[in-house]
Amino acid sequence: MFQVLSDIAGVVIQVLVAEGDEVARGSEVVILESMKMEHPIESGDPGRVAKILVAEGDFVEEGQAVLEVE
Amino acid sequence: MDLKERAARLNERKEKIMGMGGPEKIAGQHAMNKLTARERIDLLFEPGTFVEMGILAHHHSSHPGMKNKETPADGVIAGYGKIDGRLACVAAYDYTVMAGSMGESGEKKVGRIRQWALKHRVPMIWLIDSAGARIQEAVGSMFAVSGSLFFEEVVMSGVIPQVCAVMGPGAAGTAYIPALADFVPMVKDKSFLALGGPPLVKAMIGEDVDENTLGGSKVHCETSGVGDLEVENDQDCISAVKEYLSYFPSHNRESPPAIASADDPDRYVEELLNIVPGDQRKRYNMLQVIEKIVDGGRFFQLKPGWAKNIITCLARMNGMVVGILANQPMVQGGVLDINAADKSARFINLCDAFNIPLVFLMDVPGFMIGSAVEKQGIIRHGAKMLYAVSEATVPKITVVLRKAYGAGYYVMCGRAFEPDLIVAWPGAEISVMGPEGAVNIVFRKQIEASPDPKTAREMMIGEVRKLIDPEIAASHAYVDDIIDPGDTRRVIIRGLEMAKNKEIHRPWKKHGVVPV
Repeated sequence: MFQVLSDIAGVVIQVLVAEGDEVARGSEVVILESMKMEHPIESGDPGRVAKILVAEGDFVEEGQAVLEVE
Repeated sequence: MDLKERAARLNERKEKIMGMGGPEKIAGQHAMNKLTARERIDLLFEPGTFVEMGILAHHHSSHPGMKNKETPADGVIAGYGKIDGRLACVAAYDYTVMAGSMGESGEKKVGRIRQWALKHRVPMIWLIDSAGARIQEAVGSMFAVSGSLFFEEVVMSGVIPQVCAVMGPGAAGTAYIPALADFVPMVKDKSFLALGGPPLVKAMIGEDVDENTLGGSKVHCETSGVGDLEVENDQDCISAVKEYLSYFPSHNRESPPAIASADDPDRYVEELLNIVPGDQRKRYNMLQVIEKIVDGGRFFQLKPGWAKNIITCLARMNGMVVGILANQPMVQGGVLDINAADKSARFINLCDAFNIPLVFLMDVPGFMIGSAVEKQGIIRHGAKMLYAVSEATVPKITVVLRKAYGAGYYVMCGRAFEPDLIVAWPGAEISVMGPEGAVNIVFRKQIEASPDPKTAREMMIGEVRKLIDPEIAASHAYVDDIIDPGDTRRVIIRGLEMAKNKEIHRPWKKHGVVPV
């Protein structure tokens, strides 16, 4: 089990996966908007999405977990 | 004994010293996948050019632990030789002799070669593989006299290139040698830098930590920013030192070495039109842009693993050395944070010190804002970058590829910061802030008062967006031109040629009050 962390503070504009989905290393899982740019957040490792921790419109801090993957 | 006999005995003695700490210790060094100090020197210099100084140095300690101890060359090999036909000085710590520990005689040698490098204006190279100060010789308050090597490094800084390759341990005070040097490659899994090693950390603060976790190459090349480049092995490390120096003059009164280029300076780079996406919010890899515009697609990145939202690299354009500072939209959208500002400021200072022209490839949404970065001191770090770009008097060429927002535009060498040429690509966005931000601030009351705030906001954003157009800046002659992106290489090269004899005089001062 590991958490996918945001590398920048911003607002969630899209969640690209659902709980139970398989993700590969480098899969884009959430898109944030911050500082006039879209920021895809990627999974660091392969696994299955166990829990989605954010919803569209949420503000996330840098380093905040957006997903749990197992 | 006649002179012939004396010479033979001397040669025999030197031969023995060349054997360093002996076959067993050498085998140990090789077993760690490390080269010996002498093998490293052989790789560094052109064959037959190395001249050793102080080979006969030995310890003179009366400490009981040093009784009958042999310290060939006193654990450090010093001298000079040629790299690409140019002289450079070296001090290579020899791990096979008392773990490369720094003894009194050895440090006298290093001091002499350091002073020699400065006096004769040639680069100084340290190859670090040392357990630190030789405690048997150093412990106690004789420490009061030490420290001159750091003082001298500061005096030499910006006069001659200083390279410190970390090829083994470099604990305690040794860690300040790379900290004060210009370029610090670190060998993966072999190098280690920390102000206090694991035993001291355990004794002083109670933390249990191993060397690699405390100060390995990954820590320093990806997290702390102390290292400039993580390299696979000793061979790659020495190659990196040579490649780095190939971009530098021998000293600060020389120009960097230009070479003949086989790459057409007027080459139209069609691919540039496809690399940068039309959607301004989408990311792309700026490294591809750099590769397409420099000579032969070749460039040398400094700190590629740290603060990846900014790229700092050395390259050649029509044979001329350039330092390229480029925002990286792939990482955090290219937004500037404290580490990006730190990395940039240092790179600008480095290039300016050694007469290397700067090329700014700008696509910056601005400095990161928010409570987290304010607490980190983003204002202070941003000021450092602003300071460096203002202080730099080397030729400066600015290309605005896409975004140029707020103070990001300033620090990436906007018009007020004396670029010798500033051009933009069509569609570039030069503005104090984006339309969304501007509307939220300027028209907040009108939006709130409107019966349909959402539509009103959208409309106002549209109106403000019309004001963000590089042609407006060009029509007021605030940018020199808007160019076909495919012409970027040609335009930069022409700019560099034009700015070759640049001379800037500023008011006299001892030095500014540098924000650090």
